[in-house]
Parts: sequence; structure tokens; C-alpha cells
Amino acid sequence: MPELSTAPQSTRPPESAEVVVETRNLSKIYRDFWGRQKVRALKSLDLEVRRGEIFGLLGPNGSGKTTTIKLLLGLLFPTSGQALVFGKDATEVTKNERIGYLPEESYLYRFLNAEETLDFYGRLFDMPASVRRQRTAELIDLVKLNWAKRRQLKEYSKGMTRRIGLAQALINDPELIVLDEPTSGLDPIGTREIKDLILKLRSQGKTVLMCSHLLADVQDVCDRIAILHQGELKELGRVDSLLRVRDVTEIRTTALSDDAQAELRALVERHQGHVLSIDNPTTTLEDLFLSIVGEAEAHPGRRPRES
Amino acid sequence: MDLEHEPLPYLMWLREGWWIWPLTLGLLALGALVISFLIGSLLHGPGRAGDSIYKAIVGSFTDLLRTSPRRVWAIARLSIQESLRRWVLAGLVVFGVVLAFALWFLNADEIDPGTLYLDFVLTATAWLVLPMSVFLSAFSLPNDIKNHTIYTIVTKPVRSSEIVLGRIVGFAAVGTALLVVMGLFSYLFVVRALNHSHELVEADLTLIEAPAGTESALKEGRTTTDRGHFHRVTVDAEGNGATDVRQGHWHKITAEGSGPSQRYVLGPPEGQFHAREPVYGKLSFKNRAGEYTDKGINVGNEWTYRSYIDGGTQAAAIWKFNNVRKQDFNDVLPLEMTIRIFRTHKGNIEQGILGSYVLRNPNQNDPNKKRQSQPINFYAREFVIDQHEVKLNELHDDKGQPLDLWEDLVEDGQLELELQCLQSGQYFGMAQPDVYLLPREASFEANFAKGYLGIWLQMLLVTTFGVMWSTFLNGAVAMLATFATLAGGFFTQRMSELADGKLLGGGSIESLYRVVNQQSMVGDLDEGAGTTVIHVLDTINRAPMFMLSRVLPDFSSFSNVDYVSAGFNIPADVLLTQVTTAAAYIVPAFIFGFLSLKLREVAK
Repeated sequence: MPELSTAPQSTRPPESAEVVVETRNLSKIYRDFWGRQKVRALKSLDLEVRRGEIFGLLGPNGSGKTTTIKLLLGLLFPTSGQALVFGKDATEVTKNERIGYLPEESYLYRFLNAEETLDFYGRLFDMPASVRRQRTAELIDLVKLNWAKRRQLKEYSKGMTRRIGLAQALINDPELIVLDEPTSGLDPIGTREIKDLILKLRSQGKTVLMCSHLLADVQDVCDRIAILHQGELKELGRVDSLLRVRDVTEIRTTALSDDAQAELRALVERHQGHVLSIDNPTTTLEDLFLSIVGEAEAHPGRRPRES
Repeated sequence: MDLEHEPLPYLMWLREGWWIWPLTLGLLALGALVISFLIGSLLHGPGRAGDSIYKAIVGSFTDLLRTSPRRVWAIARLSIQESLRRWVLAGLVVFGVVLAFALWFLNADEIDPGTLYLDFVLTATAWLVLPMSVFLSAFSLPNDIKNHTIYTIVTKPVRSSEIVLGRIVGFAAVGTALLVVMGLFSYLFVVRALNHSHELVEADLTLIEAPAGTESALKEGRTTTDRGHFHRVTVDAEGNGATDVRQGHWHKITAEGSGPSQRYVLGPPEGQFHAREPVYGKLSFKNRAGEYTDKGINVGNEWTYRSYIDGGTQAAAIWKFNNVRKQDFNDVLPLEMTIRIFRTHKGNIEQGILGSYVLRNPNQNDPNKKRQSQPINFYAREFVIDQHEVKLNELHDDKGQPLDLWEDLVEDGQLELELQCLQSGQYFGMAQPDVYLLPREASFEANFAKGYLGIWLQMLLVTTFGVMWSTFLNGAVAMLATFATLAGGFFTQRMSELADGKLLGGGSIESLYRVVNQQSMVGDLDEGAGTTVIHVLDTINRAPMFMLSRVLPDFSSFSNVDYVSAGFNIPADVLLTQVTTAAAYIVPAFIFGFLSLKLREVAK
């Protein structure tokens, strides 16, 4: 997937005020057979997702993330409130022409192969045969499944299934892409590729709504996030501003000698500051893993850390 | 063929009952709306309930109008692939095995093996295809919902109507393919299984004695016995001829060679498959005093389909045929009869009972036209279709004067046939369709295909109901509901009789009480509180029985097995009625399924 790995990570179109997804006082109560309240999954959620942004829904299991997505897709009906997509009610079928959806487990027909799968979903968008063929070839190429495109999905690994699931979500070149745990089941390389793809999609002006409980993934790609807990919205805002620790100042320099560090401490104390730590920074495990694998692929047979 | 209810002409049937369909649908729709509004009002208040129902109705019409054939076909293709994955083709293997074993237990020595074999293959096909259709259709959508694969469908611009229609089309396509293959196998099976020949050698033949002064060239004799029967044969001087008709067929005889080395070769059985197109008449009776009556005698059989006339009296059965046209007949008037015999004494059991019939002008009041043929005698044989041919150039009146059928006997296309039993103490039993004229026969192969059309309609109904139930029930329950629809559909007439209180032994509770207490069906129950309770419960029970018998499709009305196996062409009126009836169920079942899928949450 070369074009994905080299995709611009921060190329962003100008922010838009156009609201693509909106929930107004959205609530969902699950009831049992007799109509008795079983679970209050979502409580008066107010959200807006604007065109061109990557919006993350965060929260622990059972917080209401998937329920929100299902309500937005019309898979569930709200108990009260409204879910609007492109200004239309979420149960309106025509809105789906502009949406791509990757469910949590890539629920696909396992007796079809990759080509048949994409062709099938292409038909659901009423695409002519020539367009379907072209789009199928492009997407199989994009998700790097050319080598397995004629194998039934039941023979696919979980990572491969996620890739073909993503391809089906993009079959209609959607304006809004809804991703439910997009990196679930993927190895670190696959995870990175998906994250790069998400960023690339944003650079193309598409809107991405994703939910995940993998915080690092959300932090890496999302512009704005909403944190849900027990069906309630607890936090909403830009990732960079939410993560900024305002009462701590960080200085990053190239490596300093002990004397220079002592001088720095003295300077900070002179200004009534308190040095919390001066140390060499650590990288993330993901970056470490990717650099090792990249090095190993570039120089087979050599231990990267020794070089 | 027993035809208890003569099929109505299609347009008459349509004219008489067209209003039942919109009325029933309208009442059901109104009931559904009221119930939906009441439930919605309780949950969300009347305003929101009304708004939701309005949106649902408008949205449903929009969905139906914007149904995309490409998306429907996409879902249909998926259903076909899914069916193949679920080893639906194994059904063909099972069918092959059933046919292979059928050769062991189907007796080709029967009096009419063609009927037996045709009955078997058509029934076996139906009983294999219908359960398969139930399994395929009832589990598909619930499996999609259970496996969440439906998430990737309904989040595309796919309407519920397209999902339901696609499923129905896909499974119907699978069922159609199965039926086509089974039909071809069945046809080959019947034709090949009944194919046989006999041997005929010179020693079996004797010269027919010729009138004095002439030299006979005809020989007669009999063939060897094969498949439980032999044929009497007549051959000419060249050795060519034909056998008589036994077991519903005959063989052509050709001679090979000449002189002492001449041998006779019998061809394959001919005339064993028919698609008769009879002209039925209107039946009336004369009693033993010769007076006209509506019915004959009831000889005690509970089924009053046939009435009996007593032999050796003036009792007669009279058929009045309409539309008897000269262009439909050549120099013979073919007629066939299926007469039941009730013997009060054994008589010669090997020989049929002697009867006779006359052809006559229906205008018996006009002395100038009051003409009838001489009596034509015959021996009535039971359980076979007795074929007669009246040679028109040999038609005379009882004074020996020649008669012209078209000039003397047929009046405005009408002709009467009066039939009597000549042996006293014996009775002939007959119903209206038992005697008919046979101007022509249709293609058997086309009739065989029409027989499969009835099964196809049953399969289509089962598939539609299976998909409909599966839009809101889980797989196992949808399967049970579909089987219940199928089973109930085969007993709608029974349910109707039960609801109308026409059955002996009372309602279901009373019947159960009689079974447990080993009481006869005929006598009344002892009066008392218990009997009152039973009658009240049965009265309550009749309401759902009545509704079910009116709402469920009568699956048995789609069966054309009797027509095909008995060798009668399936009338176009019957087929049109069946197709219209099936459509009348399929359309609302599809709409119901579409609405229930549209108005439900597919996720949990």
C-alpha cells in the first residue's frame, strides 16, 4: 500500500462550518420484550461533526459509542431526540448514498471472495458494471489484497477481513466514512496503514467519524473527540486543546551536558518554577516496532538495534 | 377424474370474487394502523405516533416506487449463492435417490401405471421442493440479522422493499431451477420406466375365419405377458397391425423379413400419456319411472359426489352437451366414460355390467326434431376410462333409418346423451364429469409442464411467506410459522367446514371429548353443564378457525397433480385462477414483509 504509507499525515483542507452529522438530545433506551426499560444506553447526546474533520467517539465498553453510530446509520431508532446525517433523518435511506460504513467486525458474506464482495456492494449503489469493475480493482489494490482477491472471505485472517471491510466502506467514494473500531484486529503495520488512510481521506475533504477505545489511535488521527461514559457526553473538543497540560511547560532540546542541565534547573528555580524531570525522552512502542520492521525489511538478516 | 367442483370460467370467477381481496386487505391494513397508533400513543403520545405512522406510510410508498431492479437482483444473486453454499443442490441428489428407489415399490403392473407414476413424481417433487423452500426462505434474513451481515446492507442505499423482494426473487429462482431439473428428470423417469415391449411369434397367431367364398388375410392372437399384461393383436397379410389397449396403451406391430423368417416387432407403448380436452355436459337424471329428477339414488356411500341409477328400469342419466361443433370432429364422435358400478349381486365378475346409451336431439318437445339414435350397448368397466367411438356414418335411429348427427341430432350446438344400466339389480353411479365428448387432446408435455406450474406457484407462495415471517421472527420460529402456513393452507377447506359447524362430531373440543370417551361421531352428547362448556368453547374456537380458513392460501387448490396423472389437460381457466390467487397472496405478503423490516430495528 505504498500510496498509503507515504500519504501526507497532516495535509488538511480548510475547516468547514458545514455540519455533516448532528444529534439533538439523542437518547436510546433498550427495552425487553414486554417494553420494560432494560438499559439506558444514550442520554440526551448533542453532537456536531463538521465536514472535513476526523471526529472520534471515545469511551469504555458500554459507554454508548456503538449505539450512537447505529442510531446515526438508522440501524436503531432513537427513543427520543434526533439523529441527522447530511441534514436528513438517520432513517432516510438516500443519505446512505454518501456514507461508507465499516462495522466493528467487518460483517461480510464469507462465501464470497474479495472481488465478488466489492461487486455485490457496488450493485447496491446501483453502479454500472464498468464502474464496479474499475472501483473493485482500485480498492483491492488500495487495501493490498490483490494476491488473495479470489479467495473466499472465510479463508481470510482477521486483518485481511478488516481490509476488505474497509474497501467495501469506500466502494461508493463516500463523503462521510463511519468507522467502528477501524484498527481492531490489525497488526501494528496494518494499524499504521489504516491510520494513514484515514488521514489521507481527510486530506481529500472527506469527513470521518470513528469510534475506538484504543486511545493512541484516536489521538493520532482525530481532530476532535467526544468522550462518552455510561451513555453521557463527558467531554467534547479538539484533541490538541484537550490534551494540552496548561500548568506544565515542556522544553525539548538536543542532548545537554550535566552542567547545562544544572544551569537550566537553576534558571527555572530563579523564575519560581519547579523542574519535574530532565531526562532523555522515550519513543512510543508503535514507533519502535515500525522502525524495527522497516529496518528489517530494508536489510534482511541484520538485527536492526545492533546497526 | 373426480371433479367435485367444476372450475368456474376465469372471468366469472374474477367478477364474483374480486371485491373480497381489497376488502380483506383494507380491513387488515386498517386493523394494523389502529393497533400501531394505539401502541405508539401509549409509548410516545398520540402526536408522535400519528406523525410516525404518516411518515412510515409516505416513506413506504416512496420506497416501493424507487425500487431498483439492479439492487433487487444483487440481493437475489446473493440469495442464490447463499443457497448453493447451503447445499441446496443436494436436494437434486435426494430426488435422484427417491426416483431410484421408486422403481422398487412402484408397481408397473397396475391397471393404469401411467397415472401411478405421474402421481408419484409430481407429488414427490412437491414434497421435496416445498420443505426446501421453507428452510431456505425462513432462515436467510434472521441469519443476516444474527450474523450482523445486514449492517453492511442496510447502511447502503438499499430499501427494505429491495431486500425482501431480492430474497423472494433469489429463492424463487433457486426453486425454479430445482423444479426445472426435477421436471426433466421426472419426465424421463416416467417415460423410460413405463417403456416396454412384448414378443409376438407366428405360433401365437391364427387366421381369422373369413366369410364363405373369401380368403382371409387377417390374423389374430396375443403377445407374451410382460409387466403384468398381454395384448390381443390383429395383423394384416403384410404382418403389420396393432395391439388392443391394455393398461392405457397399445403397441404398433411391424413385420420384418418374409416367409418363414418373418418376425414381428412391437413398438414402444403408445397412447399412455394423455392431455384430454373434454367437452363436459350438464347432468340430469330420470328415476325408475322415467320422470326427470335432479339426482339419482344414494346407494349408501357417504360421499354424495356420484348418484346412481338402477338397472333394468327406466332410470337414466342424461348429459346435455353444449358447443358441439362439426369442425371439432371428423367421422367419429369420441366419448369417454368413467362409470362406477354398485352390484347388489355378484353376477359375472369378470364381465362388466351391460349398459346402453343413445344420442338424441335435445329438442324433444318438437315432433319434427324428436329424434334419437339406436341404443348403443357397452359393458361398463370400473376404475378405467372407457373409450368409445361412435362412427357417424353408422348412426341409425331405432327404426333403422340413417341419421346425420349434425342435421338430425345436434340443435344449436347442443346434443343429449341418455345412458341406462340394462341389468336389473345392478346400479351405475355417475357424476357430471364422468361422461364427456373428446374432440381433441392437447400436448402431454405441455400439460406436464403446467402440472409443474402449480408446484411452482406453491413454491413461490411458501418462499414469500417464509421471507415474510423471517422479517420479524427468528429463523426457527419463522420456519415453524412457514410450515404452519403450509400445513394450514392444505387444510383450509377442513378448517372452513369446522368453522361453519358442518363436520360430524362437532368442533375440535367436542371431537377431542368424543375421542377420549370413545363416542361415535353421530350421536348427540348427553345434555349437561359439561356439554354446554364444550359447545361454548367450540363456538369461541370457530372465530379464529373462520379467519384462518379465509386468510390462509388454499395450497391444495394449486395442485394440478390429478389433472396430469389422470390425463386431462389443465384448463386455462384453472391456471389463470391459480396465478391470480397466488398473486393475491404474494403481493400483500411482500408488502407486509417489507413494512415489518422497514419498521423494525435490525441492530440490537
